[in-house]
Amino acid sequence: MKITSFLFKARGAFLALMGGVVLLSSLDANAIPVFARQTGFKCVACHVGGEYPQLTALGRYFKLTGYTQGDAKNIFGEMTTNLDRSPFSVWLQASKQWYANTQPNGINGTAPTSAFDAQTISLFTGGHLTDNLGAFIQWTAAKYDPLTTVSTGPSAPLNWTVSIDNSEVRLADHRVNSSGDWIYGAYLNNRITMSDVWNTQENWTSDWIGYFNTGFNGVAGLAPQTQLQGGLSQHNVVGLGTYLFKDKTWYGELGVYRKVSNGPLSVFTEGVDAASAPSYNNNLYTRFGYNKEWGPHEVFFGLHGLFGSGDPYGVNNLFSLANAQATWQDMGVDAQYQYILDPHYFAAHFRLTHENMQNSAPLVGGVVANNANTLNEYWADMTYIYKAKYGAMLFFHGARGTNDTTLYSSGVNGSPDWDSIMPSVFWAPYQNIRIGVMETFYTRLGGTTSNLITNANNLPGSLSPHSFNTTMLYGSVIY
Amino acid sequence: MKTITKIISLSAMTLALASCADLGSNPTHSSERSRNLNNPNVTGSTYAQQVCSTCHGLNGQSINPTFPNLAHQTKEYIAVELHELKDETRLDPAAQQFMWGVARNLTDKQIDQLAEYFSKQPAPVNTAYADPKLVVEGKKIWQEGNLSGGVPPCSGCHGENAEGNANIPRLAGQHSDYIYKQLTVFNDDYELVNDHKDIQSNLEDPGVTENGEPWRAGNNGAVMELMSHGLSKEQRMAVANYLQTLR
Repeated sequence: MKITSFLFKARGAFLALMGGVVLLSSLDANAIPVFARQTGFKCVACHVGGEYPQLTALGRYFKLTGYTQGDAKNIFGEMTTNLDRSPFSVWLQASKQWYANTQPNGINGTAPTSAFDAQTISLFTGGHLTDNLGAFIQWTAAKYDPLTTVSTGPSAPLNWTVSIDNSEVRLADHRVNSSGDWIYGAYLNNRITMSDVWNTQENWTSDWIGYFNTGFNGVAGLAPQTQLQGGLSQHNVVGLGTYLFKDKTWYGELGVYRKVSNGPLSVFTEGVDAASAPSYNNNLYTRFGYNKEWGPHEVFFGLHGLFGSGDPYGVNNLFSLANAQATWQDMGVDAQYQYILDPHYFAAHFRLTHENMQNSAPLVGGVVANNANTLNEYWADMTYIYKAKYGAMLFFHGARGTNDTTLYSSGVNGSPDWDSIMPSVFWAPYQNIRIGVMETFYTRLGGTTSNLITNANNLPGSLSPHSFNTTMLYGSVIY
Repeated sequence: MKTITKIISLSAMTLALASCADLGSNPTHSSERSRNLNNPNVTGSTYAQQVCSTCHGLNGQSINPTFPNLAHQTKEYIAVELHELKDETRLDPAAQQFMWGVARNLTDKQIDQLAEYFSKQPAPVNTAYADPKLVVEGKKIWQEGNLSGGVPPCSGCHGENAEGNANIPRLAGQHSDYIYKQLTVFNDDYELVNDHKDIQSNLEDPGVTENGEPWRAGNNGAVMELMSHGLSKEQRMAVANYLQTLR
């Protein structure tokens, strides 16, 4: 793309975003989402630098005690001074994206051409239900980051898909006695890392912006993830878990997740489930951690694990292959560091998840070549925000693993190895609004940094990882 | 069609949950460990444990200096501030970000209980690093004032050991970062007010600009605006470092 053309289009998108900013800046300063209305806090109280989703100590406490703090509504007609608050929030994301390779509906799968577009709309509700029970409910209409298992063939239309998103009900209590400070509870939710409060797990890392990531979505298998951070992290399971946070230092959690197709709990996977979707048997999720705060600093060191089985490729229903099962053991370490003292807000996160997977006979030769595979997935990020207004972020995400010429047929010799770097800068002129630019650079895909030899999907043979890079100018409004 | 069905079913579920949110809890029950900030039956000590302790510490000694120590603070001062936060007459940014929401529905009785609870906690011993050079300079300002800036000795009002007196806050052992931030707030208010004196004199409410933006830290901040303006940045930092070392 010529640079002048790029700048012209960028200016158009920017002006459109600014129009939205001016419109929304005139709204009531306290008119912010459900939890803020309930607690009376500004965003910056619970989110690092005011920027979701990263949580401060106060935000972690709010979640661990079941979203219950703040003003309750009651049926007795008393204490109703704040009942005029809306129990809903709306979140709109819009962006202009530019792809390094712009073949429409080809290499980029169902990616759009580089049009300016609204792409994700979410509706939230939840908060305090009783003194011990609270909820976080989100559902989302998405265009380019489909949560549903829709067809992604070259001619597939770009349909909006509506489905449940991160949703959780928590029952929690907080006791302080001579033996210490005990926060404990149970949750029911639809995503395996939904319960995370340290923002190291897939669900709550900061690359929350919904966009068509061609590395993930364009050609299947070029950016594989572990089952813990990928497969079961897609709102297609229902989990029941329990946790304990002792003396605000030691954290332990145990949960069981599985696919639920029928019955009342299937409402948690509404819009996500499909005949060709992966299915999961009982999967055990566990987490342990150590949390320490001193002055404006905080560190967390954690262990995470997932032990389970299922049909991660969705082949049972698709090909009537009974017993096409894989089992996996995912284990990892993660860490967080935070520095929070206005006007400076800094956070860094790291995780490394090692996966061993064993494939049963019907899968081998069908969708995988090897009886057993390993995958090591990493994530690291750094965020700095000044005055809760100006921010910069840098993410690193990738994996190394066993070559599998069937599962990773697009990779060189079946390599799953990939690396990506995502720098971004943003401006929050108002606490409800964020405007930013984010780059997604793929430095390695299919095990190579240069010529990506492709022998599947009828792709041209001269692609490099850079062909999957994306530039995005985005705006986000939450109200 | 399928999409419409999904929208309808998800809307129904969301509305059902939203209406559940209206049920709430019986205020006469389970208030012992409640975090419901709109229940007059919850005691101040329950709030101290369930709500305030997250930032200010169970014993009134906070970890992050964003939040002030409340331990051993004078009861009168805590009550005055909670009333100002409830009435939204204390206008500094942190008050708006955190405390307006917490205090907005507290009853007079709960405010009294909270003030009682924190004033009875043992005095904080702040072991955070304080710059020895600044401590010496701060001590001098505390005891002798800064006459060239028109600042009388701080100890005259706050006490020789910053122990406070009724409505005048105790500052001994307070986080230096917090003291410095608040002195900056006072100074910023002073400059705003004095830069706009001509406009201010025509305003109905001198605490608020004509655009409704807050000008002052709070009703009780007027004296401190003058004091803070009489100190340089380094002098404010010095006083803050000195106060942190006091027991």
